Amino acid sequence: MFDDAQLTGALDRRVQRREERREFFKAAIGAAAVGASSVVFSSAANAQAANQDIDILNFALNLEYLEAQFYSYAFSGSGLPNNLLDGSTAQGARGNVIVGTTNPARAVNFSGEPLIQQYAREIAADELAHVAFLRTALSSAAVAQPTINIAGDADGPFTAAAAAAGVTLTNGVFDPYASPDNFLLGAYIFEDVGVTAYKGSSSLLTNNAFLDAAAGILAAEAFHAGIIRGALYRRGQTIPALVTASEQISNARDAVDGTTTQPGPPQTYADADQGVAPLPTPLTTERGTSTGTGANFVPTDPNGITFGRTAQQVLNIVYLNTANAAATLGGFFPAGVNGGIRTSAAK
Amino acid sequence: MNDKIDFLATIEKAEHQRMARRNFIRMCGGAAAMTGGLSLLSACGDDDTPNPVVTPTPTPTQSPVTDADILNFALQLEYLEGNYYSYAVAGGGIPANLRTGAGFQGSVITGSGEGAARAVNFSDPIIAQYAREIAADELAHITFLRTQLAGAAVAQPSINLSGSAAVVTPGGATVPGAFTAAARAAGVIGAAEIFDPFANDINFLIGSYLLTDVGVSAYRGSARLLTNKAFIDASAGILATEAYHDGVIRSSLYALGLSAPATSIFDKIQRISDSRDTLDGATDTDQSIGTAGNANLVPTDSNGLVLGRTANQVLNVVFLNAAVGTRSGGFFPEGVNGNIRTTIANP
Repeated sequence: MFDDAQLTGALDRRVQRREERREFFKAAIGAAAVGASSVVFSSAANAQAANQDIDILNFALNLEYLEAQFYSYAFSGSGLPNNLLDGSTAQGARGNVIVGTTNPARAVNFSGEPLIQQYAREIAADELAHVAFLRTALSSAAVAQPTINIAGDADGPFTAAAAAAGVTLTNGVFDPYASPDNFLLGAYIFEDVGVTAYKGSSSLLTNNAFLDAAAGILAAEAFHAGIIRGALYRRGQTIPALVTASEQISNARDAVDGTTTQPGPPQTYADADQGVAPLPTPLTTERGTSTGTGANFVPTDPNGITFGRTAQQVLNIVYLNTANAAATLGGFFPAGVNGGIRTSAAK
Repeated sequence: MNDKIDFLATIEKAEHQRMARRNFIRMCGGAAAMTGGLSLLSACGDDDTPNPVVTPTPTPTQSPVTDADILNFALQLEYLEGNYYSYAVAGGGIPANLRTGAGFQGSVITGSGEGAARAVNFSDPIIAQYAREIAADELAHITFLRTQLAGAAVAQPSINLSGSAAVVTPGGATVPGAFTAAARAAGVIGAAEIFDPFANDINFLIGSYLLTDVGVSAYRGSARLLTNKAFIDASAGILATEAYHDGVIRSSLYALGLSAPATSIFDKIQRISDSRDTLDGATDTDQSIGTAGNANLVPTDSNGLVLGRTANQVLNVVFLNAAVGTRSGGFFPEGVNGNIRTTIANP
């Protein structure tokens, strides 16, 4: 079961945990000295819980680095400022953004599409704020940005993801910066995944201030995903290829994520991902059952609850891990993510 | 600023909240014993100064606040949203078997003539399909919450779902339809005009904005107060679903604002947002959809976190009343069921 990569990952992780804990206790001692709340770390269990929270928030920070860089390039043509990228070196090296060469990460030409441009502007600003917020919340425990690949090239992760999904390529590539519609599909690849990650992590947070903040970010990501999916749904009426692509990408995510059906918490489902194709949607009211076509802009379970993924399942997607063995890097994170959670789920 | 102290401040804040919760339980337990009074989520959830405003009520309720109280409060909001979307899509309210439970069971007050709750004659099939999906999700939420709460689930209260000029409440009072009352209070229409959310696509979206924005802020605000991990997991998923809905509603309003000959949609939404913000105290809990040149589709703070409301602030908004001690009004003319039902002072 254990391959070398897994083993190495597990060992790395233990070293990091020790490092983090040391930092935590240092911080706790510092606080006690200035008379702040010393009850916080009154037990080993509390420190353990705090470590778990840090791992989860750092995992989220990795995803936010990715999303923020993508939207920042797509809207403005440049990436995040340097002062938002450094971090705790004990938890992984600071990496750069691989922008590519033939179809580099760049500003999308939104002319004629002011609506989508507004979406891009607002989402880019939110994602940047999330990076800044998580870094502040984590303080010295925040991980640095890992190496991120957001190239639109033939050998870039967007093309790899699209090709694996069976999406029709243009001259052998899927370039998310080539047009507003491609931008929407590129965003769709991330946004739903971000939502499932925050959803799946929320019940694992032990500190309720972090839970509160995570709920606020989860909601923001769900707004974004709703906006993106709603736009794809509407445009899909005249450009059916968008709907087809959304279903193909969804199926690919389902195939690679390694999700099993578990009651949880966090609850997960084996085949939960959904594209934006219209669905027959019967509605039972006091007047009986009304039949008709509904949109599918919210990926929910039968209870109307947006589905979630564990961090390890999310890693399979962002690593574009088509193998059954667990992965520690790949796809959008060619050197892996930083922090205590970096190995994907084995399938 | 010292990073470590920053991080500790966050932890410390959480510790304060835990203390506050304990204080809440003590205080509210005490209050119940002394006054036969009520338990109020917001009375203590955010306040570590043990100085609650306690309003005696004729019906003694259970203290302290529990996860069931929070879920039942959410259920009240889902009854409101579920009926709104059910009427808009299918012309009828939620089925009778979903209305029963503890407390006083009421009916939907539809009104008559212009403004009456009824199926919207959608001109844009896409908006009709969005509406159908949302209606199905809200019905699923009602069913899910009732199942989770089982015997503790509270009944649907009386709901004023009308835009008509005048409706009669079960108590015999003649009042305006709640949508008209809200629109008048916000200055969206004149004091003698009515607002009919079932009249057309735009009005339906504005009515949706009136309700769904509040639902998001309610789930967002209560996330950190839940203790059961399975409920946290489920509640995060419902929060996400509501946020997807709101993302589509707000972006649809924005798109209509761009294409409408006049830009009055932006002005109307701004007024509704301001009105809600006035109702629920000094904290910033509400944002409009921005202007034609500057979209604001996600209502966030400077950290990119979606804004939340306490249950008490939500009551102020749905009762359309900022006064302390309010037990009914607006969309709930006979009040809500459950232990969270009377307004207190907001911070």
